[in-house]
Amino acid sequence: MYQKLNSVIGISIILLLAACGAKGDKTGYEYAPQMYHSVPYEGLSQVMDQSAGQMISNREDGKGEFYNSNPHNPNEMTMRLPPEYTVKRNRYGLLPYNIPKDSLELAARQLKSPLSNDDAVLAEGKELYGRFCTHCHGTSGGGDGLVGQVYMGITPYNSVAVKDKAEGHIYHVITYGKGRMQAHASQLDPMERWKIVRYVQTLQQQ
Amino acid sequence: MPHDKFHYEFMFGTLRPACLSLLSLLLFFLLSLNSVQGQTDSSQVEISPDNTAVAVTSDGTDEAVVAEGEKLFNTNCRACHAVDKKLIGPALAGVYDRRDLDWIKLFIRNSQAVIASGDEYAIDLFEEYNKTVMTPFNLADSEIESILSFIKFEAENVTSAAQTDAGVASTDTGNQAPSSFLSAVLIGLVVVLALILVVLFLIIGFLTKFLQQRDELDEADRDIVNQKFNLTKLVKSPAFVGIVAFVFGILVLKSVIDGLYQVGIQQGYAPKQPIAFSHKLHAGQFEIDCNYCHTGVRKSKSANIPSANICMNCHGQILTESLEIQKIYAAIENDRPIEWVRVHNLPDLAYFNHEQHVKVGDQECQTCHGQIQEMEVVEQFAPLTMGWCISCHKETKVDTKGNAYYDNLVELHAQHSNEPLKVEDIGGLECAKCHY
Repeated sequence: MYQKLNSVIGISIILLLAACGAKGDKTGYEYAPQMYHSVPYEGLSQVMDQSAGQMISNREDGKGEFYNSNPHNPNEMTMRLPPEYTVKRNRYGLLPYNIPKDSLELAARQLKSPLSNDDAVLAEGKELYGRFCTHCHGTSGGGDGLVGQVYMGITPYNSVAVKDKAEGHIYHVITYGKGRMQAHASQLDPMERWKIVRYVQTLQQQ
Repeated sequence: MPHDKFHYEFMFGTLRPACLSLLSLLLFFLLSLNSVQGQTDSSQVEISPDNTAVAVTSDGTDEAVVAEGEKLFNTNCRACHAVDKKLIGPALAGVYDRRDLDWIKLFIRNSQAVIASGDEYAIDLFEEYNKTVMTPFNLADSEIESILSFIKFEAENVTSAAQTDAGVASTDTGNQAPSSFLSAVLIGLVVVLALILVVLFLIIGFLTKFLQQRDELDEADRDIVNQKFNLTKLVKSPAFVGIVAFVFGILVLKSVIDGLYQVGIQQGYAPKQPIAFSHKLHAGQFEIDCNYCHTGVRKSKSANIPSANICMNCHGQILTESLEIQKIYAAIENDRPIEWVRVHNLPDLAYFNHEQHVKVGDQECQTCHGQIQEMEVVEQFAPLTMGWCISCHKETKVDTKGNAYYDNLVELHAQHSNEPLKVEDIGGLECAKCHY
């Protein structure tokens, strides 16, 4: 009898503690939840459930301890888009790019790279090209990257159609996209785009 | 005779357990054989057919022109056209029969002008291919002609080439040899063990029979010879109960300690996401760089979860029918962000900065996130405990080469230590670096 009771207690302790760890959809338990969860709004971790952590809550508004959303923002998001008509400052003093998407030829004629053609710029351009372009355009710019082979329609840089395109053309295409290529302005800041342009120019001439 | 008794006891005391352990060994081998078989099965799937192109002799067309055309086709046309199937643009086989040479030249050099001139065929083509604009190619007459002769050559040889391809495709058995050798060895072992087992049982039977026929055995000896394996008696014996209780107690203690250590650690957390995005496919199979989507990783505290527009860089065009991709379209249409479930919940009491670790520290993503390129569903790989942070800061050397910022630090450090400069020496263990 005593042994039976003992084993029941033992097994229930094991089961109870096995439930402490995280697995699948469960985050597991925490020692001090109030120290773990952010009180101020935190980007990238929005909690919209108003009753989350209700049991340990001592908030004045009566909501759960873990509730972390801004009811004044669209979709209760904790992050916001920058206000309209504001300009992001950058350390290069570059003004925002304001040639419209359909003026590709104007960009090709007028835009000049602020960067020199030295090896340091090329090396940085190559690194950025590897991160942002290779999967479609391929290491040598032949349009034969692993994604490119599936995506298709990627003109090789050394093809007759594009091998003589000016730096402004390349910059404009990275910014707004062209044909099946989409805009990459949200992923690359202006200076990074100009570095990639320098490297792409070497691939055009191969 | 006491000597005899000892003898029988020895005989039966060792023979029976020996048979039992052999039996379990046999079982183990059978099991491992099974798993090896499984591996062999999966390795067979990976064999890919060998697509070696077979050189086909030319039939009347000038080989040099065709070769020139192939080169031009590969650099200029292949991105959107194939000879025998539709890609972004139409299949080009037979184009020289469908349109005359002048039309083709005009269209290649400026397709938009041909469409604007009201040419019906060109307008239909433009509509059929979702108004995809063909890039103008300023190719010379001779170049266009050589491309056309390459297309003609390809179109005529494509069926025979496909046939030879199928013929060439054969399975390569070379890389299977080690595992089949291993199974052969295992099978041999199993057979040998089974034989030994049979022989042992035969000996036991024979000896028992022989001893039963002898008359000089007393009662105790007879008991030993005729003893049966008694499970209930064994289970009830104090030694057995003691051992079981001890093992059980140790197990309980271990799981209590393990369980307590798991509290507050989310290692292994792998929540189901609203869209079944696979890192294995994107980062593994297609080798898309982590930075492409997680754009903040070198610029800010957070690596950032990509917004829908980055998905649309590709999925605006491909896999548009997929139900999972449709969820992205819905999110954009309703102007509602996709509610990804955060996997790595670092406690609010600790500060972590991606830029510091990835850009300055030059750490690979995999160091903390595990083999993310093999994960179908993202799982927290590291425990993200303070001990884990500290142990890395104690081991990791600082790359000071070519960085004047560290010159004085390296000099000062060298005065009282022979060890290379590590993260802990430049403040990697300061409390206020991460807790404030």
